[in-house]
Amino acid sequence: MNILPLQVNGLSKRYAANTVLAGVDLTLAAGEVLCILGPNGAGKTTLISIILGLLKADSGEVRLFGQLQAGISRSNALRQKLGVMMQIGSLSANLTVFEQCDLFSSYYANGYSAAELVALAGLEQHSKQRFGRLSGGQKQRLLFALALAAKPQLVFLDEPTLGMDVAARRSLWQQIRQLKQQGVAVVLTTHYLEEAEQLADRILVLDQGVIVAGGSPAELKALTQYKVISCHSVLDNAALLALPGVQQLNRDNNHIILHSCQPEQTVKALLLADESLHQLEVLPVALEQAFLQLTQASQTTEEQAA
Amino acid sequence: MNTAAIYRKEAWYDLISVWRTPGFVIPSLAFPTVFYLFFGVVFNSGAASAYMLVTYGCFGIMGPAMFNFAMNIASDRAHGWLTLKRLSPMPAAAYLLAKFTTSLVFALLIIVALFSIAAVFADVRLHSGQWLLLALVLLPGTTPFALIGLILGLTLSDKAAPGVVNLIYLPMALLSGLWLPIHIMPTLLQQASWIWPSYHLSQIGLKIIAMDQGHALWLHLSCLLVSSLLLALLAAWSFTRMTGAKV
Repeated sequence: MNILPLQVNGLSKRYAANTVLAGVDLTLAAGEVLCILGPNGAGKTTLISIILGLLKADSGEVRLFGQLQAGISRSNALRQKLGVMMQIGSLSANLTVFEQCDLFSSYYANGYSAAELVALAGLEQHSKQRFGRLSGGQKQRLLFALALAAKPQLVFLDEPTLGMDVAARRSLWQQIRQLKQQGVAVVLTTHYLEEAEQLADRILVLDQGVIVAGGSPAELKALTQYKVISCHSVLDNAALLALPGVQQLNRDNNHIILHSCQPEQTVKALLLADESLHQLEVLPVALEQAFLQLTQASQTTEEQAA
Repeated sequence: MNTAAIYRKEAWYDLISVWRTPGFVIPSLAFPTVFYLFFGVVFNSGAASAYMLVTYGCFGIMGPAMFNFAMNIASDRAHGWLTLKRLSPMPAAAYLLAKFTTSLVFALLIIVALFSIAAVFADVRLHSGQWLLLALVLLPGTTPFALIGLILGLTLSDKAAPGVVNLIYLPMALLSGLWLPIHIMPTLLQQASWIWPSYHLSQIGLKIIAMDQGHALWLHLSCLLVSSLLLALLAAWSFTRMTGAKV
């Protein structure tokens, strides 16, 4: 069996009375993009920091390439395979793009050369410019390139497209897809649903430190299309189950609760079938408030971007 | 990967990054030279100029060591740069040695500047062996101050670091007799000066030109050694504390 680049078991972390992570499990295979999605404050950065050994977990274990993570700061071999782009990342303001790449490429045995890193960042025109004078998007691109300096097998990207415009974001997505094709395992955190949908093989939705949902983008999308329809109706079970989209039925006398994957059609048919129907409510699945917030948030972002 | 190349590049880029910060370069070089020109050359001459060459030399090499370590490490921590480096295969020693090399380069520049002023304008006449010995005392003498800077850089925020360095640097210089000769200070302060590494460094330097207070060399050397050792332990502790608890 191949050794998984990343395995996390039962990771928990508390700050005083605040639970930041509660029993997080995840695995990541080579060539897989795992997206950790969640609103700000969901615990994404904490999770990455613990995986990288920058923070200590209260319980649970992290294995990188089968090796317990406790060794990360000591294991040069491990760090030779690792690329990291953290959310707060600023380089020495006084060094130029080329100089930063030259310095970083010297750390790795089989990594990219300085010139290749400048090209990966797409900053050939700016190679003599100091970091402090780059635009926000250019800085992000340089930090992304430095994360690839090792020609890594495992890459952590914490909100890599934060503050990028639409075009820059799309070109970074393209680069992440290329990494995947090269067999690199990628952990990506984001709070853009669209980003997760575009890139991820698997999405984990993290909310208040708990993985509330996980699956392929398509599976998750299907989950959010479920709605709960609550009403008082005189229709019998057979008639209710025959309505379009109904997957599940619970009733308490006349109080009916339906789970539907096509709520609009269900409601339309329901109203036609029972004129006495009252107290109609359509509710989101008690799934994860977080995911829906994200759906809405990302829709607004897309509208703004369009 | 070539480990020697990492050390070399880390040192070179630390130096040019610092060199491109006029706010660091100008005060580091100007303060000791201007002070020495003023107090050691314009207002004094002869023996006093030689005495002050040593004390302002100590004062001069302390500043860049403390400031380079404290401010740049605090800022690298604040901006996540240190985090990225720690997750890379860069040996931590390369990072620290780079900063130390930068401190040594600045110390050397200050030594050359002060020696030139002393020889040319203040007519200080020393044997070539004395000049050389003085430089060889001052250069490694940066060590305890680099360690103080390292501790501050590992524990303070980037905003607090410069202020706190000044708060330590300037009183320590004054209380070790770097501005006013130690023997004109009140007895209590003279006794208290033994806790400052800068006092011992200046006394060793003054011994070379036979203007020290007359304590044994081994006493000053052991005090410098012990204080450096304690500071190194404190720095190591600060480092483990930082890596254990903070991003």
